[in-house]
Amino acid sequence: MIKLSAISKNYQTDKVQTRALDNINLQVRAGEFVSIMGPSGCGKSTLLNIIGLLDRPASGQIEINGQLLGKYSDSQVAKLRNQTFGFIFQSFHLINELRVIDNVELPLLYRKMPAAERRAKAKAALEKVGLTARMEHFPNQLSGGQQQRVAIARAMVGEPQILLADEPTGNLDSQMGAEVMSQLLALNQAGTTIVMVTHNEQEAKHSNRIVRVFDGQLVQ
Amino acid sequence: MLKNYLLIAWRIALQRKLFTVINLLCISLTLLVLLVVTALLENTFSPTGVEGKSPRMLQIVTMVSLNEEKGNFRHGPLGYKVITDYIKPLPSAELVAAVSMPESTAVYQQGRITDLLLRRADAAYWQILDFEVLAGRVPNAEDVAAGRFVLVLNQSTATQLFGEQSAVGQLLNVGGQQFTVIGVVADVLQLNSFADMWAPVSTYPSSDYQHQLWGNFSALILARSAADFPALRQELATAIDGFQFDDPVKWQEVNIWADSKLEFFARMLLQNQKQPDSGAASLLLLISLLMLLFMLLPALNLVNLNTGRMLERSTEIGVRKAFGASRQQLIWQFLIENLLLCSIGGLLGLVMAAGTLELIEQSGVIPYLQVEINLMVFMLGMVISMVFGLLSGIIPAWRIAKLDPVHALKGARR
Repeated sequence: MIKLSAISKNYQTDKVQTRALDNINLQVRAGEFVSIMGPSGCGKSTLLNIIGLLDRPASGQIEINGQLLGKYSDSQVAKLRNQTFGFIFQSFHLINELRVIDNVELPLLYRKMPAAERRAKAKAALEKVGLTARMEHFPNQLSGGQQQRVAIARAMVGEPQILLADEPTGNLDSQMGAEVMSQLLALNQAGTTIVMVTHNEQEAKHSNRIVRVFDGQLVQ
Repeated sequence: MLKNYLLIAWRIALQRKLFTVINLLCISLTLLVLLVVTALLENTFSPTGVEGKSPRMLQIVTMVSLNEEKGNFRHGPLGYKVITDYIKPLPSAELVAAVSMPESTAVYQQGRITDLLLRRADAAYWQILDFEVLAGRVPNAEDVAAGRFVLVLNQSTATQLFGEQSAVGQLLNVGGQQFTVIGVVADVLQLNSFADMWAPVSTYPSSDYQHQLWGNFSALILARSAADFPALRQELATAIDGFQFDDPVKWQEVNIWADSKLEFFARMLLQNQKQPDSGAASLLLLISLLMLLFMLLPALNLVNLNTGRMLERSTEIGVRKAFGASRQQLIWQFLIENLLLCSIGGLLGLVMAAGTLELIEQSGVIPYLQVEINLMVFMLGMVISMVFGLLSGIIPAWRIAKLDPVHALKGARR
């Protein structure tokens, strides 16, 4: 499903060049739940962003569903992100000016879909995360756990094959974190491939496989 | 999609009040000035009301006499004789009128002296111009031929002199001559019709005016259609080839140009008195450039404001990109937001312009001005607003849509 070959990434800050990822080779199969772990600044999030096509590698190849991504245009990459990936971020990244229901609808806006169908799908996604009663609220009227559940509904509403979660429980207390994890596990059991960046060993244990990154390299 | 864009634009406008107010003021004040100027220009040049026939009308307001060898130059209004001898006989003209420039004249009434502007005109003048007659009638060919002392007042002058009483039939001493008021017409402010009162040309105290090459007259030429203008101009050129000067030693050459209203103003402004081209095209280009420049400065200011405002929303841009928004879709989103804001600014500008024009009318700074925002000016205003929206939105939108999603999500400002 996802195949990274010899991926490298550098960051240029002032006059210093930092190697964020160094010759990464990684394969994720359909239906897998993979956790990426490692110390802060080791390149976990960079790796996740490259998998999700949010960032470009300096060198190496990315293959998604057997398709090698070469010189894809902006609109082709946008379409691929929209149809293949769902994203969950540590700080939720909900749009505060939009109601919960409008936030969840967001990925569907970029598909040719009638408004009524979009609305119905967004409602169904909110129902799955138990937030139908809050759909007319604005994000800042919700607790952190509720906001992350809205973010999960938004990530899932387009039924993506791959869900990428960057420390999804990092800003939540343990109870809320557990709730979010149970939602992710349910999605994985329903067939969604999940790649999650986490610092939490307990959460990582729920996944099928743990990938460890250290100084930009995979260590096992 | 559009609804979502509009919704978020509206909510952001409400949340960022200071920015919204600055943005709206910037647009509406610029539009206010542009709309007032265009309304005044439209009032001056568009063929409506009393000068409704102006699309097939030419005017000759001044002439130039020259003797380049001796360095003699004279530029001023026409004498009546020029009109009767050289302009009235033009074969392609349907009608030619002679009318004096408005002359300040003392009106004596019940021990009171009022200075008013008087024009003296022939009968054709009343046929070419479409005055709205409110009471009585306007002078006809018989009145002019017989030299009857009949007078037409405009509404404001009639009210000023006679109050509630009917002005028609009243006697009035104008410049020492006794006139009978025969009609009242609506107030007008147009190049050829502006005055407080009108009398037949034959009421001049002396008939000397009939023999003068230099005087205080202008000629109005009504063609059968605008297509006859080139022929008319050619005939005029031929006619003045044989111009007979009173003093052929002093003067050798005469320039007389039959101009449309716009050409007349262009010739006056650009001082093109010696050549056939009035410079109207250059004037229009100059006005368009000035208007564009006037719009460009606030637009550049808005580009900066908008870039800052959009960069504040880089996380939203990152999220939208992550969930499938292409660069093009983001550019559209920000453009629509900007166009919405500019449309509101445009509507505000229109309301303010209407209010300002009303104030100018009421203040009497420009006598007899009757100008209002009409459909054409309204449409122009909206087009200007949209141009504003595009000008001030496209650059920041393009810059912001270029951000990498990962940098946008981190709130990077680059």
